[in-house]
Amino acid sequence: MIGSPDLVAFTREEEDEPAMRVSPGLPEEYSVPLFPYSEAESSPWSRLSGAKFSRDFVLISEFSEQVGPQPLLTIPDDPRVRGTFDLNYFSLRIMSVDYQASFVGHPPGSSYPKLNFVEDSKVVLGDSKEGAFAYVHHLTLYDLEARGFVRPFCMAYISTDEEKIMQQFLELSGDFSKASDCLKTGNRKAFANELEKKLKDLDYTRSVLLTEMEEQQKTDEKGFYTTQAIEKANELANVEKSIIEHQDLLRQIQSYPYRNLKGEEYQPYVPESVQDKPDVCSSELAAASDQEENDDPEVFAPRSSYIPKFIKAKSSKCFDKKLKTLEELVDIYFFTQTIDLLTSIEKRYRGDVSYLLMGHLDRALLDQQTIVNFLFEDASTWDCKQVARQYSDNLLAAQTGVEAEILKPSTSLESYKSSVESVPIKIEQELFNDEQDPEVTELSASDNPANTECLDVDTKGSVSSGESIEVLQTEKSTLLIHSESQPCLGFNTSPQPPRRKAGSRRTISEDSIEVLSTCPSETVIPEDFRATYQIAINEEEAIVEDLDREQSSSEVDPFKNEEAENNLAMEPPCCIRSGSSEGQTGDLVPEQYDEGIVVSIPPQPCKNIVQDFGQVKFSIEHVENTSSEPISSPESSFLLSSKDAERNMLDEYSDSTSYRSSASTCSDRTPSPPPITTFTDRQKRKAGQNALMFIRQYPFSHPAIYSLLSGRTLVVLGEEEAFVKRLVTALSLFVPNYGHVAKPVKPWVTAPLHIMDFQKWKLIGLQRGVSSSGCNTLHSLNRYSRYASILDADNKTLRCPVYRGALMQRLADHRTQIRKGSTYYMHVQSMLTQLSAKAFLFTFCHHVHLPIQEKESEESIAQRRAAFLHQLLGLSQEDARIVEYLSELLKMHYLRESGTQLLPVLRFDYIPSFLYKI
Amino acid sequence: MSALCPPPSPAVAKTLININGYSPLLAATFAYWDNILGPRVRHIWAPKTDEEVLSDGEITFLANHTLNGEILRNAESGAIDVKFFVLSEKGVIIVSLIFDGNWNGDRSTYGLSVILPQTELSFYLPLHRVCVARLTHIIRKGRIWMHKGQSIIPMLTGEVIPIMELLSSMKSHGVPEDIDIATTVLNDDDIGDSCHEGFLSNAISSHLQTCGCSVVVGSSAEKVNKMVRTLCLFLSPAERKCSRLCRSESSFKYESGLFVQGLLKDATGSFVLPFRQVMYAPYPATHIDVDVNTVKQMPPCHEHTYNQRRYMRAELAALWKATSDEDMMADSVIHTDESFTPNLNIFQDILHRDTFVKNFLEQVFHLKPNLSLRSTFLAQFLLVLHRKALTLIKYIEDDTQKGKKVFKSLRSLKTDLDLTAEGDLNIIMALAEKIKPGLHSFIFGKPFHTSMQERDVLMTF
Repeated sequence: MIGSPDLVAFTREEEDEPAMRVSPGLPEEYSVPLFPYSEAESSPWSRLSGAKFSRDFVLISEFSEQVGPQPLLTIPDDPRVRGTFDLNYFSLRIMSVDYQASFVGHPPGSSYPKLNFVEDSKVVLGDSKEGAFAYVHHLTLYDLEARGFVRPFCMAYISTDEEKIMQQFLELSGDFSKASDCLKTGNRKAFANELEKKLKDLDYTRSVLLTEMEEQQKTDEKGFYTTQAIEKANELANVEKSIIEHQDLLRQIQSYPYRNLKGEEYQPYVPESVQDKPDVCSSELAAASDQEENDDPEVFAPRSSYIPKFIKAKSSKCFDKKLKTLEELVDIYFFTQTIDLLTSIEKRYRGDVSYLLMGHLDRALLDQQTIVNFLFEDASTWDCKQVARQYSDNLLAAQTGVEAEILKPSTSLESYKSSVESVPIKIEQELFNDEQDPEVTELSASDNPANTECLDVDTKGSVSSGESIEVLQTEKSTLLIHSESQPCLGFNTSPQPPRRKAGSRRTISEDSIEVLSTCPSETVIPEDFRATYQIAINEEEAIVEDLDREQSSSEVDPFKNEEAENNLAMEPPCCIRSGSSEGQTGDLVPEQYDEGIVVSIPPQPCKNIVQDFGQVKFSIEHVENTSSEPISSPESSFLLSSKDAERNMLDEYSDSTSYRSSASTCSDRTPSPPPITTFTDRQKRKAGQNALMFIRQYPFSHPAIYSLLSGRTLVVLGEEEAFVKRLVTALSLFVPNYGHVAKPVKPWVTAPLHIMDFQKWKLIGLQRGVSSSGCNTLHSLNRYSRYASILDADNKTLRCPVYRGALMQRLADHRTQIRKGSTYYMHVQSMLTQLSAKAFLFTFCHHVHLPIQEKESEESIAQRRAAFLHQLLGLSQEDARIVEYLSELLKMHYLRESGTQLLPVLRFDYIPSFLYKI
Repeated sequence: MSALCPPPSPAVAKTLININGYSPLLAATFAYWDNILGPRVRHIWAPKTDEEVLSDGEITFLANHTLNGEILRNAESGAIDVKFFVLSEKGVIIVSLIFDGNWNGDRSTYGLSVILPQTELSFYLPLHRVCVARLTHIIRKGRIWMHKGQSIIPMLTGEVIPIMELLSSMKSHGVPEDIDIATTVLNDDDIGDSCHEGFLSNAISSHLQTCGCSVVVGSSAEKVNKMVRTLCLFLSPAERKCSRLCRSESSFKYESGLFVQGLLKDATGSFVLPFRQVMYAPYPATHIDVDVNTVKQMPPCHEHTYNQRRYMRAELAALWKATSDEDMMADSVIHTDESFTPNLNIFQDILHRDTFVKNFLEQVFHLKPNLSLRSTFLAQFLLVLHRKALTLIKYIEDDTQKGKKVFKSLRSLKTDLDLTAEGDLNIIMALAEKIKPGLHSFIFGKPFHTSMQERDVLMTF
């Protein structure tokens, strides 16, 4: 394997080896260090620390014809950034490699000065002793006063890391080219203006000279030319020559775009408009053009405002004149744009190259897996259109034969069959979709923060129909279509008075199942709902609240009715043990309700249900509707700590309003482009910190996270808003997205919960105590307590299904040595990506879901599915439920993206709950 | 490429090189800073072509300017600095390595440059590191030779020609940035259709453990290339552009620094790898023989770096001691210090098994081929690896306060990041090494270095 010539030298015995390491005689400068980190404190991070500046910056330098190379400005303009780094020396170094100096000048034999439109050159160089490396972008600007009309400049990105520059050379080159184009365009404009002014001056001078000559001729009637007359004539001739030269220069600069022969995107110069602005800033230019024309008419209409002046024959000496500054050389608008561009470049390339490069790679990979990105990725990575394109093939495959069935939500319900019984109840959400979400409509135009408070109330108002979800012995239900009676209504996005348009409606399905429907229609008045309830179910009254009446909407107390009639699971507040005084023992105490050990007053209804049904499935058929997408608060608010959250309360409302407004339009189910809400690094760090604290401080973090990952709504109950929000922030990391907008997280709710809240939100921060409307939030919470997990922040208890899997141990190990929130965030992200991959595999493995043989029973398929999850993916029962839930979301998302219309589904699992306490 | 350039000095020598096929490299030059005349060109290497793209005058003009500003040179002792020019006005890119050297007692600044057309910028950039590393080492050797009063030109010729050949071969047989999964093993109906399941798993696992560097050898070019493309699926687009397919008619030479390269066995059924070049590659490599389904791998990065540096030092020291031109026939025999005997058994069996690749292969074949499902699943797999690698870097960064402290919590790292399988850790560490060079040496290097020293001391008894 190894070439024989290579072996010739290796014939010595190994005992001589130690002597070798010294390399006797060889000067160290000709050798290489044996161990890269032999010096103290040297490391992969410290190799960059030899430089005299603290972080990368942008430098603009000029090769001045008067003083030589000189630095002009740095971005950021902070002396601390560049430290003691010698900018003068480095300017000299980077300007000395400029090739362009060779290409400018007057061609021999040309009668007029010639402008040289040289292309920019790019150089990467360094000063290894200073530990400074630079990407240098050389360019020339035009100046009428300068030698050869050119002023050489350069823009440099200076870093301590040479690899960082080389590995991002193309990106840097592209970005600096844009900045250069912007600068040069502004310079051409300024140069042309300068020429026009100069021509006016010359013209004026000529007319003055002519007048003077004529006067002289009149006074000297003999016709002899005096010395003065001859001087004037020479002067006039020079002026006329100068006029021709300047006209030629103006023609050249105006013909600039036609000189572009190499396909670069140079912008034409159009003196009286802003059409010549470069692409990079075109959007800003368009907006600014009007303003600019108004504000600075001199720039665009020099002819109208400029007063020409007489030019003396003898100009000042070269070194007496003051050269224009960069700001003077470039049209101010373009100069500002260039500085903005360079500032953004400095920010974009800031930081460790490892993270920058990995960011590029990650984005490329995320582009290839758009179908799953919505689950846990930043919204900025989603591109729904791509999904449809990329998976059109898959869709075809899935649509052939019975394959389509595996993607149907109804079929997918099977995957949720419990060991005891699974009872799907279908509750139709009439006309409740993205496009028609009344809340969306209401809020859509309300970007004004002043409106946000009352708009936010909209989400809190609810129809009390909690008990309607009681399910008894129902095997099947039918999807009810109520579109005739409650037609889909359009809504406009104009500001509306805050009025609640969503209501819940119960009807009886063919299977005598209580059906809760929500009608967002504006035309359905509250009375209609009430009547329907009374007729159809005769069980409770619905409350349809107008937003403007929301605060006083306690006219009906549905809870009492339900309590009286149904005797449903109404767990008293004491169910949530107020045992915080017991202190943190650190022991996890899962106690099943049935055993009644922890709960002093066991909730009988809950117990019965647990015993009778074990796990019962309740669903509002077609959970996922684009319009009923969870409209969560933006991460920008819920990922903040309590202080920040309080500080930004207004922003929170404002943000939530803004993204609601973009939800969709009326009957068209095509989702409108989602607003991009992305995590900033700070938010990631904060979320990670909170999550890390949560898993360390709460021994029951595993079941809590399990609840979220398996699609069970988790309510964080507490008195102090800041504290609850912190917990919500921590837990929000683990909430899978539904689809389009943002995570289904509601950081803080003060009103009683409504059934629809469980459809919208998977993580809710709930205020303990009496709401502003006078209702006790605990009442509503107790009603739904069987269907949701409840984390009592005040008493440090958690009531939720037990978790026995292995995944959480890796995801949220309380003994983890991870020190920083940002690191933990990254760890969680990688683990969730693994989960997404498993869900993807499970979803799109056709043979797992389809009958292999004809007439293969559903049971057999289900067994195969279970075997796939347990054996191939190595998942325990609980972990398998997580994957199944994610798979379900994937299917919904996939079907929606591929054009299938889906109605929202609300699903509950009746699973025995345990009480955990610290 | 403009015409108005000064004529070359009559002293400029030129070597024309025969290259099979298209050569993206226009010329290479060796220039120096003359204390009286300024920058001067000493030697030009150019491919022999029918059409001269750059005249000698233009080449000289460009080469002279690579030393512009170097009178201000402020470098560390022994430094070899790299300058990279993109000159749109001339339509060329130039890579210059600037160094100080003593020749006949005079200390001066020298520049070795290669010139390519600007149209090859995106082709060249992924190969920049390879070219610079190879030219840097030849300069190290040449500098010693200059110190002895000998001409550096023959030594430089010995590396410039292979680099021309490398670039030419990459132009004709480089792996494309986008690989169609249908041309790889991952498109098989079932695992084991193209190659044995265990072999494929070992190959990919070891490939990832050796930073994505692999040498695939075999008798069938088709079979070799299928494996090359499969392995390249696990690389970034830039790394793929630094990989080479196998030539069917006759084999290429092994090239140090490529990520994946396919090589054809000769008539005797063997392929001889040059030890020195394998050692000088920036990363360890995996050796995959598709004929006999064997997978061997080199030691991990820190050990590879240690061995590489010892070898380099030995070679440079041997050169320092060399006394005659015969000793300098660098390509025929490696001159190392007499006391150094490297371990030639550098390719060994895979010691550590992983779960990442094993699970991935078990799962991916459950998805239907010929849809985009497998590509998506592969992207997810790679995303997980990348994210784990970045998390690992951050973990170490936090724990050591960016290298200020020694890293002592490897066990915790394994547990916390779910990398308890040694093979898994190796894969993630290898990925991390590529984006944070020196990580291996920082974590494992010191203990390894110490243990080697101890071993050396013990062996002297």
